[in-house]
Amino acid sequence: MIQAIVFAPLLAALIAGLGNRMIGNTAAKAVTTAGLFLSCALSWPIFIGFVTGSAEAGVTPVLQWVQSGTLSFDWALRVDALTAVMLVVITTVSALVHLYSWGYMEEDLDQPRFFAYLSLFTFAMLMLVTADNLVQMFFGWEGVGLASYLLIGFWFKKPSACAAAIKAFVVNRVGDLGFMLGIFGTWLVFQTTSIPEILAAAPAMKGASTIGFLGARVDTMTVLCILLFIGAMGKSAQLGLHTWLPDAMEGPTPVSALIHAATMVTAGVFMVCRLSPMFEAAPVALAFVTVIGALTCFFAATVGTCQWDIKRVIAYSTCSQLGYMFFAAGVGAYGAAMFHLFTHAFFKALLFLGAGSVIHAMHHEQDMRYYGDLRRHIPITFWVMTAGTLAITGVGVIGVFGFAGFYSKDAILEAAFGSGTELGTLAFMLGSFAALLTSFYSWRLVFLTFFGKPRWAGSEHIQHAVHDEHHHADDAHGHGHADHGDGTAGYHPHESPWSMLVPILVLSVGAVFAGFVFNDTFINRESFWNGAIFYNEHLIHAMHHVPLWVKLTPGMVMLIGLFIAWNNYIRNPALPAAFVNNFRQLHAFVYNKWYFDELYNFLFVRPAFWLGRQFWKIGDIGIIDRFGPNGAAWVVARGSGYAQKVQSGYLYSYALIMLLGLVAAISWVMVK
Amino acid sequence: MDFTASLALIAPEILLSVSGLVLLLAGAWMGDGASRLVSYAAVAVLAVCAFMVAPALCSGAMGPDTVAFGGQFRADAFASFAKLLIYAAGGAALLVAPAFFERHGAMRAEYPVLVLFAVLGMGLMVSAGDLLTLYIGLELNSLSAYVLAAFLRTDERSAEAGLKYFVLGALASGILLFGMSLTYGFTGTTTFEGIRTALSGGLSTGALFGVIFMLAGLAFKIAAVPFHMWTPDVYEGAPTPVTTFFATAPKVAAVGLTMRVAMDAFGKQESAWQQVIIFAALASIVVGALGAIGQVNIKRLLAYSSINNVGFILIGLAAATQAGASAMLVYLSIYVAMSVGGFVAVLMLKDADGEAVEAIADIAGLSRTQPLLALCLAAVMFSLAGIPPLFGFWGKFVVFQAAVQADMIALAAIGIAASVIGAFYYLKIVKIMYFDEPVNKVHGKSDWIHWALLAVSAIFISPLGYLLTRWLGSLADKAAAALLFAA
Amino acid sequence: MEALLLEYLPILIFIGLAAVLGGALIVIPLIVAPSKPDPEKLSAYECGFPAFGDARMKFDVRFYLVAILFIIFDLEVAFLFPWAITLTGLEGGNAVFAFWSMMAFLGVLTVGFIYEWKKGALEWE
Repeated sequence: MIQAIVFAPLLAALIAGLGNRMIGNTAAKAVTTAGLFLSCALSWPIFIGFVTGSAEAGVTPVLQWVQSGTLSFDWALRVDALTAVMLVVITTVSALVHLYSWGYMEEDLDQPRFFAYLSLFTFAMLMLVTADNLVQMFFGWEGVGLASYLLIGFWFKKPSACAAAIKAFVVNRVGDLGFMLGIFGTWLVFQTTSIPEILAAAPAMKGASTIGFLGARVDTMTVLCILLFIGAMGKSAQLGLHTWLPDAMEGPTPVSALIHAATMVTAGVFMVCRLSPMFEAAPVALAFVTVIGALTCFFAATVGTCQWDIKRVIAYSTCSQLGYMFFAAGVGAYGAAMFHLFTHAFFKALLFLGAGSVIHAMHHEQDMRYYGDLRRHIPITFWVMTAGTLAITGVGVIGVFGFAGFYSKDAILEAAFGSGTELGTLAFMLGSFAALLTSFYSWRLVFLTFFGKPRWAGSEHIQHAVHDEHHHADDAHGHGHADHGDGTAGYHPHESPWSMLVPILVLSVGAVFAGFVFNDTFINRESFWNGAIFYNEHLIHAMHHVPLWVKLTPGMVMLIGLFIAWNNYIRNPALPAAFVNNFRQLHAFVYNKWYFDELYNFLFVRPAFWLGRQFWKIGDIGIIDRFGPNGAAWVVARGSGYAQKVQSGYLYSYALIMLLGLVAAISWVMVK
Repeated sequence: MDFTASLALIAPEILLSVSGLVLLLAGAWMGDGASRLVSYAAVAVLAVCAFMVAPALCSGAMGPDTVAFGGQFRADAFASFAKLLIYAAGGAALLVAPAFFERHGAMRAEYPVLVLFAVLGMGLMVSAGDLLTLYIGLELNSLSAYVLAAFLRTDERSAEAGLKYFVLGALASGILLFGMSLTYGFTGTTTFEGIRTALSGGLSTGALFGVIFMLAGLAFKIAAVPFHMWTPDVYEGAPTPVTTFFATAPKVAAVGLTMRVAMDAFGKQESAWQQVIIFAALASIVVGALGAIGQVNIKRLLAYSSINNVGFILIGLAAATQAGASAMLVYLSIYVAMSVGGFVAVLMLKDADGEAVEAIADIAGLSRTQPLLALCLAAVMFSLAGIPPLFGFWGKFVVFQAAVQADMIALAAIGIAASVIGAFYYLKIVKIMYFDEPVNKVHGKSDWIHWALLAVSAIFISPLGYLLTRWLGSLADKAAAALLFAA
Repeated sequence: MEALLLEYLPILIFIGLAAVLGGALIVIPLIVAPSKPDPEKLSAYECGFPAFGDARMKFDVRFYLVAILFIIFDLEVAFLFPWAITLTGLEGGNAVFAFWSMMAFLGVLTVGFIYEWKKGALEWE
């Protein structure tokens, strides 16, 4: 069964990808979507089995892979509670995204390729989460990286998409280097790549040894865990290695929903949870995880408040939410981290797909400055986006009912506070402030998009659309550039087709109820996890007994954020501009994403280009080409010329050469 | 000494000579009109001979039972392996000839007879156990070959080829004879076994001269550098069926003979000839590759290619081990298939009037006018370049493997590096056929015999050939064991 | 010493005879032969070549055919002499073997001769 779940997407990807134009759009779409729905249908029973406690963790061997000296690892599919959570997240979101793409990619010329990539991505992601050893996990890790690269650059004729794809790939490479070093180091220390064996041996290694790293003696487990976490930072876009994620929005929106919100970017969180016993043996590394997570959470939330591109706002939101997950893991609340991962997958995929629906309605305009008043034109989208926003901002009443984010985010904040450490408190404060910002930017998005007056006329995309329509519809009017005076430019947004609405509606069910239904399972039941993650009973106890103000804080900051957003964008729309004028420098700092890109550009990109140019001009052309290929070619060409010159056609010269050869041979053996 | 047993061992040779004489008379009486018939009869004779020698190979025959006439002649598995290749190559050269010569009005009954005598001579060469047998076989082959090269008497290039071949061949024969007489003088015997025994104590200067001169004379026959100069001119000038013959059968025979001389007669004096062979191998690879670049005539290019291939074969000899000998035989088998395929394909390149097309520029865009022919030629080229998964790769692989096993890693590394140069001109042909603008020159039709030969060669060198590796390898191992057993 | 020198006596006699005969053949014509010098008499004969001139000229290949045939059969005879002498000393199987070996050799030569004849190589015109 697990084989079917994992390999159905691969098979579908091969059929759609290799068949491509031969089998046509519909067949490719049908086979991939069917493959994913099959996987999804098979995954849920496994998950429910773990929830009800009837399922057992197990490993299904697939193939022998490497057997070399003491190094040996096989292809195997591991299923436990942690994997089961990921299985349903991946297959459900992926299946819905496949379906959604029928509508969203309707007019694209290259649909089989798109669906093949999507399915390939799903396969790689499933390999990652079912990995029983670090090498297979790395296979999946690189597989999703590849699929992400291909999909970000799916519209490869757009230079910005190619640049974004390369950026994502290169930044991930930095993280992957850490991950690889971590794997190598783990093998060096534990003499195995098998995850269960490593985890079994890890507790005994706590502070037990030191290892030489970059010329210093440092605690072994700390080094290993930080290296592995660097890999997670790259994949999960944590502060420092986050720069690729916003740019990745160049890819088609379904891709953003699947890869850059719900699944791939959470791989880092998954990895930390999977290796949680190992991280528990390295307190310094955990502190590092907490700090990075909390800072990312805060940083990304601030940037999110100033962005105009609807997808970028959600992208920074994703980055911020990933920060929550990491600092939850950092303080030891792995269950809460996984729970947030689970709920986040639903509401963030929902928000992305909803944004896709908006973009679809607004003729590929992504700038929120040109939106407004859309709730009357695309009501279903409006309502599901509202549900998503309620979920992400964590609306709910303690003890009664709340949307998904209410449970998971609150659990994280409580755990951070309940851990009782300074870093935990710091993370709580940053997280709470980020929750305020989350509420602000999320509602800002809703208000700018769906409320107020239409501001569509300023959009070039809309003007193009209207222009085309006029050309087609009423040529008699001459050129139709009528000023309608109401900001609509005569454009009529249409609600998306049902193939797009159905997935959003399904996801909104998840966004509304996922938290309420699974709260207890993820946070409180050790029997659910059953050793799949490190379960800190002490911490769970502490988080249930935090002071009341701590429990109320998330709700309060959410309301404050909502109020500010309402005040700025509904009550007094002139306010933001005034604010920007007063705090020009602060705004520029945040608007420009804390100047990370500029800094990296200065620190790494330009020196790298300079170095590359040196290698190219001097090393490659000057030395390698000159003495290598070109030099060899020159020698060969010369030699060939000589060989032909010697071949004169005259008998006497032939005979002479024969005799010279004979004399040379004789002389050689005599002298020798 | 049991003459009857000896006669039984040389039965294939007796059959070949008797049928050669009979066919000669038949040709004389029936005239040139019967030459096609005579050709097919000759092919049938070769087939029968092949069946006669095959059992010795399959059973891995070796030892005293295979020695005839007091050590002058050996009918062991090694000889059988080589003879089968020679018969196959001879048969191919006979089958493609009538169509070619009839166009020039020059098909004569003497052609198949000469081929039969050449094949007989080559059979003697690979079976030689004595310097005299060696020389008689070599000369019988050579004299037939000189005439064959000049078979198109009225064609200037053919006559030139014959004359050059003859003059240089005579020189090489002289060198060989001188080496033989020195060897005889310093060992007092002409049998390989006797030479081996006589030299077991050490090598006197005279005998050293002897072995070097003999190897030089043999190097001429296999066209190893620096005794290769005749090859491009003769291959280009000789009629293409004859070139097909030259590129295949005599190579096998001369390589087999060289193996006998080096590993049997002088088998205990490896140090004397090993370095010379190494030099010849590397020089052949490099010069063959360099010479082929810039050729505009495809036959000439294939001539250089054959020089290049000889270099690779000699690497196996340089290893001086049983594995090396076995690798050489495997390489030879694949080489014969590649050469037959290549030259048959060249024979099939004909313009609308049926004239042979030999200029490389004229086959540009062949893939669009004659896709199947282009595909086969491309397969031959890829295989000659030793690019996997084609079978040519296997030949190179086993040879290099043998060299590495004999601790000659540097030799193998240089050989592999030099084979890259070779890839250039092979791939150039493919590029011209597949990517250049078609010149639409090749239009001629070919009969089914050509297609069949081409198909057999192409299938053999295709990746399907790897199905045969085990079988081919075990036969080659048996033959190599027989060679070293005699030693 | 006497005996050794005595063994070389026939050679001495042979040298003497040769000298006498050679001298006689030069001297006698000078005395008895009529002397009618003519440039034609100094020109080449037998092979039809002028003694001096350009070597690159066409010539009649039939001279060579005859010459080569002559050499072949000349050598055949040269082989036959030692064979004939030793054959009588051989016994039983060896004799039979030796006899048929030569018969095979002669047979091959004969076949070649028949071929040449049939091809018309021996006809002058």
